[in-house]
Parts: sequence; structure tokens; C-alpha cells
Amino acid sequence: MIDVTMQTRLRFEKACRLFISKYDSVLPSFSNTTFRGWCWNEYNDLPSFGYMSRSTALTVRLSTRASVVDDAEQIIDEAVDEASLRSPGTQTFACRQYVVYSATFQVPCLYFTISHSNGTPLSADELVHTSLFHSATLDSTTTTSFAVTHPSSLFPLLSQGDHPSLGTPCWYLHPCETVKSMQEVLAEDKTEMSKEERLVRWLEVWFLVIGNMVDLRV
Amino acid sequence: MTTPPPGTPTIVQFTPLPSQTHPSFWHKLTELKLDVLKLSDAEVEIGGRYGVGRVFRDREAAGEKWVGVGGSLGVDEGSFGGQTTTTTTTSVPVGTAVARGIVKNFNTIEEFKAADKSKIFNQVADKIWSSIHTTKSTTLLNTFLVITYADLKKYKYFYWFAFPAFVSKPAWYIDGALGWVGAAAAAAAATTTGGGGGGGPGYSHDQLKSILDQLHKSAHSGSKPLPYFLVRSSGTTTVDVVPVEEYDPSKDRYTDTLDSTGTGTGTGTAIGFIDPSAGEQNPGWPLRNLLAYIRALYPGDSTKRLKVVCWRDSYVPRGEDGWKSRVGVITLGDGDGTGVGDGKRPDAVGWEKNVQGKLSPRVADLAPMMDPTRLANQAVDLNLKLMRWRIIPSLDLEKIAGTKCLLLGAGTLGCYVARCLMGWGVRTITLVDSARVSFSNPVRQPLFQFSDCLNGGEPKAECAAARLKEVWPGLNATGVSLSIPMPGHPIPESPPSIMEQTRKDVERLERLIEEHDVVYLLMDSRESRWLPSVICRAKGKLVMNAALGFDTFLVMRHGARPAKGEEGGVDEDLKGARRHLGCYYCNDIVAPADSLTDRTLDQMCTVTRPGLASIAASTAVELMMSVIQHPDGFRAAAPPPQSNPNDYPHPSEGGEGEGSSVLGLVPHQLRGYLAQFRNLHVVGAVYDRCTGCSETVIEAYEKEGFSMMLRAFNDPKYLERLTGLDKLYDEGEKAFEGVDWDEGEDEF
Repeated sequence: MIDVTMQTRLRFEKACRLFISKYDSVLPSFSNTTFRGWCWNEYNDLPSFGYMSRSTALTVRLSTRASVVDDAEQIIDEAVDEASLRSPGTQTFACRQYVVYSATFQVPCLYFTISHSNGTPLSADELVHTSLFHSATLDSTTTTSFAVTHPSSLFPLLSQGDHPSLGTPCWYLHPCETVKSMQEVLAEDKTEMSKEERLVRWLEVWFLVIGNMVDLRV
Repeated sequence: MTTPPPGTPTIVQFTPLPSQTHPSFWHKLTELKLDVLKLSDAEVEIGGRYGVGRVFRDREAAGEKWVGVGGSLGVDEGSFGGQTTTTTTTSVPVGTAVARGIVKNFNTIEEFKAADKSKIFNQVADKIWSSIHTTKSTTLLNTFLVITYADLKKYKYFYWFAFPAFVSKPAWYIDGALGWVGAAAAAAAATTTGGGGGGGPGYSHDQLKSILDQLHKSAHSGSKPLPYFLVRSSGTTTVDVVPVEEYDPSKDRYTDTLDSTGTGTGTGTAIGFIDPSAGEQNPGWPLRNLLAYIRALYPGDSTKRLKVVCWRDSYVPRGEDGWKSRVGVITLGDGDGTGVGDGKRPDAVGWEKNVQGKLSPRVADLAPMMDPTRLANQAVDLNLKLMRWRIIPSLDLEKIAGTKCLLLGAGTLGCYVARCLMGWGVRTITLVDSARVSFSNPVRQPLFQFSDCLNGGEPKAECAAARLKEVWPGLNATGVSLSIPMPGHPIPESPPSIMEQTRKDVERLERLIEEHDVVYLLMDSRESRWLPSVICRAKGKLVMNAALGFDTFLVMRHGARPAKGEEGGVDEDLKGARRHLGCYYCNDIVAPADSLTDRTLDQMCTVTRPGLASIAASTAVELMMSVIQHPDGFRAAAPPPQSNPNDYPHPSEGGEGEGSSVLGLVPHQLRGYLAQFRNLHVVGAVYDRCTGCSETVIEAYEKEGFSMMLRAFNDPKYLERLTGLDKLYDEGEKAFEGVDWDEGEDEF
């Protein structure tokens, strides 16, 4: 039986380090993209407030108007180069994901930012139409009064708040539902494993739980 | 793309590398500018990364729809090095390349615009070119440049990226029919069509896996990841990934017998690179400088035909044919090309085009994320939008935000109503009051504090508005000091200035009501509600009325004036009553009169349980929200009264019928009893002799205007005469003479 919460910040840090080194050494495959690319960050002057982070690119699920506008005036002319492809390409967004420890809920918490190519943040409306969100998670137009008819569903309590270590504006998934979901999943897991394997397994399960709400595949 | 006839050479077109600036890059640049660079515009070395282009199945679209997503060169806070954090990284993940760059930050927008862009660009191109010849290293091949100007006051960043790429003259060509093919598919085609011996341009699943593994290991062995590499085939199955620097023209020469269908064999080494392009027939930008490198250092005929691997895989795919990398065999056009032999640098191109596709700088406006006021506005909306995501998808938040609210009375009720409206994201709140903040106010009236009471006290309305703006600067809050004339409170004839002031006050009130959509009656006396009730009825505004007793409250919405021809009578089953709702005065058989003179202090001030005002205020705001969400708005009929409150349907049970909106019921009146913690629904029909809303009164107001009001203020019996209430009273007195009443009826 695995603990339902991470219990302490130290255990969280240990789990993250073990988790990172595990997936750093195995050959990347389609099935472990959620677990890949994470690194551990720590401030020299705030050693116990470390967190995991990674960067990914997102696309837009529904076409939105281009909300980033530049000057239309062309200010230099380059010689015409027939070997340069002239195509706008797909609109992509930079997503920075952070896994931080919530001392209140004693579980990790997913923070993230999504920005346009120039670094400006997406609005709430644009945000939910990126490929980070499963269409069913937030698509309200097809789901009416879902929370009332299925009170047990994983409600994406998305909030805006400062990153606990960086202090920069972020979005985060509220961890209040996490404990309950972890309980359900972990209760099924009867596998024998070492203390360290258990810690890593805990994080893997956490990622799968979070993966119900947001798409963390790369 | 139309397929050219076999053998037609097609010019190889490269996909430009887009830039991706993470917000933290701007944060760091700001710090650097303020703390280190100050007025210096010296070039600063930075780092960046780009990843492979990706193609994935569109999870939303039906069937097999694939979306290509190109990689981009990303810069972030880590680009500047010298971090204050320690990072335990998974080295550089497979499929990611590291690039070096130069940032040049200008001090003014004029300098930024006037800078000699070609000169700066050519300096970088020269540096790349000379590195090829002097160091024979590929390290600087993907060097990029970014020029910036940071407007730190407005959080605006002007910038322009450039990715210098050498233009090959003659250009590179690929067989038009064969083109670029999937790395795994090409191997299959070659073997099935009799290429034999693992020939053909592609690779087997195991070979591709081996390439991925070697790229993975190279990034982990402490050595640098390889943005460019050679794929050597030794024997039939083994492939070796080695740095491009090890290129040996005699050993790595590529030869083949491929025809236009891709049939045939090929042997020798392929040059590979981390390819950020997602285009089927277009390799990415970094290949251009790799080709220039190969031709510059090995100018012989052996490098005029090359096999290229566009590496686009960052993990082992699900199926053996799931590999995204592409291969192609390209041939140089006739001639040796610039820079070959003589060492002269070929022309370079590569300024990034902006969103409009123009060769022009880009702008990042970060005020929405750095300006606290704008951050607050977003956050207010977010909380409300969350309601819409799941709980009430059809909630019309724009309608709420656009509803302008006029609050008559900035006391206990006014303060709480304003705060609750703000919570709903209402953007325009105007408060009207004539009093000043007194020492008894702050503890019960949450927008005021002790200091507001000093020196005679701040005017309540203005003070409350200012406090609201402190809570949320995005709010359009206004305070108006205005005293509302009341019936039964005569206006003295002299001095004439008083009359003039009254006329002005009435006009001001009329204008304010005109400018708002919902009017809240939150005063502390009964008669002060009369004038706004009449004006609102005439102008068709929704009136929300809240009144407090000691431990009871009344919250109601006034009925709307029926459209012409729809006045209709009152049905016996109360259906008409629920359509034609009454006002605050409809149950009265006397006109509002002076209730303030000759009263003791406890009768004049609202002496109430302290929690009551916030309950009543919240109830009034929530009722308003339910009403404006109703398709009929303030004309919505009230729900049929139920003796048991449990009989009212919950909105989730599809109770969105008569008397109900997406938020639930739209009752006419709610009476709250704090002593029993109980709310009662009441429906009151419009009363045709009402002094507040009967047609007689409204028409008299519309016809006579101020003079009619003046009569009401000055003559306590005027309204009763006008509506005929006086006759009713006399008739009643006569009829009830000699009747004994049984006590004990419910007072409502």
C-alpha cells in the first residue's frame, strides 16, 4: 500500500530526483512522453523550495483569430531567395510546466504558463482551446450542467496564481481533487516494490491522474 | 503539390525557423538592462534551443488527419546563463538542438529603428563563415541574432530575430517524383521492390532505433548533443552516428543507383541534422548551413550528391512505420557554387518575418501580465468564467459585466450590494447618498474606515466609490452626493435657492436613472424610495429594492410597466399576478408620508441585527442576476408560490421554465426572517390605485414632470387623491364599522 500523500517536501524532492533519473536513462518511447523532459530546479538561497519544470509546444484545437499583431510595414528588403519556403506554418504556443509541492494538500501541484511566440500570455479563452486541454475537459458547449449530474467527475479547478517559488503569474490545477483520485488509484496497486520504487510510482500515478484533465503527452 | 514527371529536378525549399520567446526571457532581459547593461548596447551572448518538427494525429478530427507542428528556436530565462538556480537537467533531450546567439539591446526605439540591420546581420554571417574555415567545427553553424528594444515603462518589447543561412548558388535539387520520403517507409519500399541488402535511401526500424539510441547516448555521455551528425552504414544492419567533423570524403561518399521510383541501392554515409521543420517536402533551415559547411570544406564532386536525414523523432514511435524522420537524396545544380575553393562568403538570408509575413520587427506587449491592474481584471473574469465551464455553460457573463448599476444609498446595504456586484464582474457602479461617514458607520458598512469619519466625515457616496476602486482598479465606480426629495417632506418656498436645488436634484436623479440599467433602492426610509420608483417605472428600468427591519428583511424586484395593450386584468389563479408584478407601494392603502419627523432615535435609524444587511444585500444582487439571465429580463413572470420551499425545482433539474432562469427562480418578493432562519416567497400583483406604479401616477409624472412631484412633496394628501386611495379609505371605514375582527391571521 502506498501513502496517499507525499507527506513531506523532502520526500517530494527525493521522488522527483529519482523520477527524473529513471526517465533520463531509458530510451524515449511514445508511451513515456508524459514523464520525459523534466528537470529539477532549486534556488541556492531557498534550497527547500525546489520544483520540476519542462517546456513543450502546444497547438490550438480550434482555430482562433491571430491575437498577436505586428507592424505591417516592411522595413528591409532581402534578396528574393527561391530556396526559402514562404509559408506561415502552424500556430504554436510555448507551454512551461511546473510541478511544485503543495504543503497544504501534501501533494504535487501542476502550474503552467502558455504564451504566444512573442512571449505574451494567452487569455483564459485562448488557453482552453490549446492542445493542453482535452476537448471534453472544458468544452462547455456540449456538456451542460455536468458538475451537477456527475458530481464525482474530476473538475478542472483551474486558477490563476503566482508560482510559489518564482513568484511569476501562472495557472494551476487546484490540488483539492488530487488526493481523492490518488486514493482511488493507489488502493488498486498491490505491487510489491522498494521504498524508492514506491516514490517514483507515486509520481507516475500522479501524472496519470493529472493527465485526465490536461494532455501532458508531448 | 502536383507531382512533376519523374526525374524532374525540384529546387529544395527550406522551412524558415520561427522564434519562440518565453516571457521569462523578457523578464531576464529587463533585469539585465536595469542591473548590468544599463546604457550599454554591447552584444551579449545567449543560448537557445530548437526541437524537431512534429506530426501527430489530430485528436479532435474524425479519421486520419495529421497536423504538422514545426519546432521553433526558443529563448527563455536560461538563455542568459549565470542562473541563480541550480538545475538538475535531463541533459538535452533527444530531438533538441542547442544554438548560440547574440542579443543586441538598443537604448531607444529610434536607435533600434535606425540601426544598420544589414551590417549587424553580416557580422554574424561572417563569424559563422570564418568558424567553418578556421575551426572546422559545426558549433557556430546555427548561430542566431536578436536585436531588441525594451520599453520598460510600458512593458513593451520590440525585437527581431535573424537566423543567417548561406544561399547556395547553384541551388540544391531533389528528384521531383521521389522527393523526401519517410525514413522507414523508404527502406520498406527499397527492400520490397528488390533493392536488396538494405539498400535504398531509408532505414529499417532497428536502424532508426539505433540512431535514436546513439543520439540519446551522445547527449548523456557528457559530450554535447549533436545538432548535426553523420549516419554511417557499416555492413547491412549497423548504423553509426558520428559528429559531422569526422566527415571523410573518401569514406563517406554517397553513391547510388536509384531511379525515379526509388528503386535501386545506395551506399555510403548520410548527413543528418535535428530538423525543426514539419513539412513533408521541406527540410528545416539548419540544413542550409550544414550543406554550406560540407561544400566549403570538401568542395570536390563527391559532395555534389548527398543523402540527407531530416531527423524528426524524439522517441521510439508506437508502430514500426511511425517514424517521422525523412530522407532524401539531393543534388547540387550545375557549377561549383560560391565560396567553394576561393573561400569567399556566400550571401546569407534569414531575418524572421513577422506575423503579417513582412520583413519587419515584432512587438511583445507584456503589460497584461506585468501591469497589476490588468492582471486583476483578468483574474476577476476568470473566477466567473469557471462557472460557465461546467456549472452553468449558458451563463451570460457579458450581459452581467455590461449592466450598469445605480445604488441609491451608500450605507450598510449599499456597501454590501456594491461588493457583491463587484464579485459578479459588474463594471459600472454608481453610488448616491447625501450623508457623510459618521463614527457609527465603519463597523457595519464595510467600505468605510475610521479615518473616513474624521473632520466631519467624507461624503459617503464618493468615499464608497473610491474604496471600491481600491479593491478593484478596473471598476468604473462613481459617487454622487445627492439628496432625494420625498413625498410629505415639503419644499419651502423661500429662499428660492432651495426650490432651485430640488429641481436640479430631481433632474440629476432622472439623468442618473436614464444612464443605468438597474436601480437599487437601499435607503433607510420608506418615502425616499417613492421618487426613484416612479421615474424607473416610467423609464423602464429594473428596480431592486431591499429594506431591513430588526430581524426581518424584504428584497423585491418592482414589476415592469406593461407594454401598451398588455395591461390585462388579474387572473384568479394568480397567473396574471405573476406577470404583472407590483411595486413596493402596491400593498399600501396610504401614500408614503413623512415617517422621520417626530420619531425616537431607535425608530429613525435602522436598528437591525448586524448580519441582516449582508444577507439582504446578497439576496438582492443574486435575485437581480437571476432576473437578467432570464430571457424575458425584468418582464419575467414570477414562479408560482409553493407552500413548501422544497417543491421549487433546482435549475439542474431542468426547472428552466416559467419563473426560472439558468440561475434558478426569479421570485417577486422575498421576505426573510432571521429569528427563524427562513425565507418566504411572496407574489404581489400590481395594484391599480398604487401611489408608486399605477398608470395614473406614471402618466401624471410623464405629463407634468417636476410640478407633479412638487405637489407630492408638499401636499401629503395629493397622491391619495390622485389615485383614489382616499375614497377607498372612506369606503373601507364605512364598510368595516361595527365589524368584530378575529385576530390571528397571518400578517401577510
